[in-house]
Amino acid sequence: MSDKKKHEDQKYIDGLLQNNSFIIEAIYEKFAPKVINYIRQNSGDSDQAQDIIQETLITIYNQSTEKKLKLTCPFDAYFFLLCKRKWLNALKKRSYKEVTIKEGMLSKGDQAEELAFETDVFGEKHALYTEMFNKLGIACKDLLRATFKIKSMEEVAESLGVTYAYARKKKSLCIGKLTELVQASPKFNLLKN
Amino acid sequence: MEEQDYIVFENYLLEALSEAEKNAFEARLNTDTKFKESFNTYKELSSFLKNKFENESASTAFQENLKSISNNYFGNQKTSKKIIKFKPWQYAVAASIALLIGIVMFNNFSTPVYSDYANYESISLTVRGGQDGLLKTAENAFNTKDFAKAEIAFKELLITDENNTELQFYRGVTNIELNNYALADWLLKGLKEGNSVYKNKATWYLALSKLKQKDYDATLEILKTIPKEAEDYEAAQKLINKLD
Repeated sequence: MSDKKKHEDQKYIDGLLQNNSFIIEAIYEKFAPKVINYIRQNSGDSDQAQDIIQETLITIYNQSTEKKLKLTCPFDAYFFLLCKRKWLNALKKRSYKEVTIKEGMLSKGDQAEELAFETDVFGEKHALYTEMFNKLGIACKDLLRATFKIKSMEEVAESLGVTYAYARKKKSLCIGKLTELVQASPKFNLLKN
Repeated sequence: MEEQDYIVFENYLLEALSEAEKNAFEARLNTDTKFKESFNTYKELSSFLKNKFENESASTAFQENLKSISNNYFGNQKTSKKIIKFKPWQYAVAASIALLIGIVMFNNFSTPVYSDYANYESISLTVRGGQDGLLKTAENAFNTKDFAKAEIAFKELLITDENNTELQFYRGVTNIELNNYALADWLLKGLKEGNSVYKNKATWYLALSKLKQKDYDATLEILKTIPKEAEDYEAAQKLINKLD
């Protein structure tokens, strides 16, 4: 991805990262109406649109902080596709209702589609990792939290009242346990492919 | 995987393996797919956890801010869609009342003033968990309307970060408040002629600065350059109508 040129709309991604209220407001003003319309036309209402837009912006924020997201296409297309994907997933989950989708014009294999797909997978993985992390025992959760917050393993060991060697070993085993939980979940195998 | 494998994963990521151990590890990665898959997941989870905990406070601040902007936006949408049905005769009554109020308002408040239009909200300048003291000072001073203090902080911040358009913009607004018009206008004019995200906002505030200076011709001239897509376009049109 790194050889592709950054799009000028990167300012929206950077604005989200900086928690810049002006930019976040601008995103709503400029890009929300299209999403709201789409969701309204496809079995949803404006409350649901509000949730979808909010979740989408959080996913973009998370991906940018963790993976330094670089926008290579207009924000408009990218954002709309992402919201659309999220909405379709939400519809699938409550499939008791018959769903008719009015397809917009989309060309497969374009830049925006690719990027939206990547972000979507990132978001799903993120949700899965969070869910699995919550399944860990309290000892592991505390140790991992301390490890990444305090950074110095010596201090972590001290704060938990264990030896340095034990804290370091325990950290690998806890992430190992998390690895196993994630790998065992059916959703992970779907995301991998 | 065995317990030992995870310990090796961690040591590899920490670059704590000897040359020989490292070579053996990489060789196994190339031949053992299961081992490789587990390692990749382990690595990804490490990065996930690192991000989750290191950015916890910044992330919470972002989500709270996002929620309030979202509620604001959708709240406005809903209220603007509320429809009240009138009977025809009620329209006539409503229209004559509106006309009456209009005439009274027009006579009483025919000259618009700066404070009717300057509706900037609290700002948030600090990025990650607020590690920069001076930014925090500027932010707090601005939000509590201590503009003299905000000006000192903005001035100093801009010495090291002179191209920061966000800081330039708020320093401009600060100086309108302080009646330092020459400095305010100079800063806002620079942004108006630039291409940053603050271009339209700065144009709007430049017009408001002229309004505060009671230079109505200049206000009008600047207002007319605000493009349709600008957030303040509607407010600008209203102000034009009042001044024209």
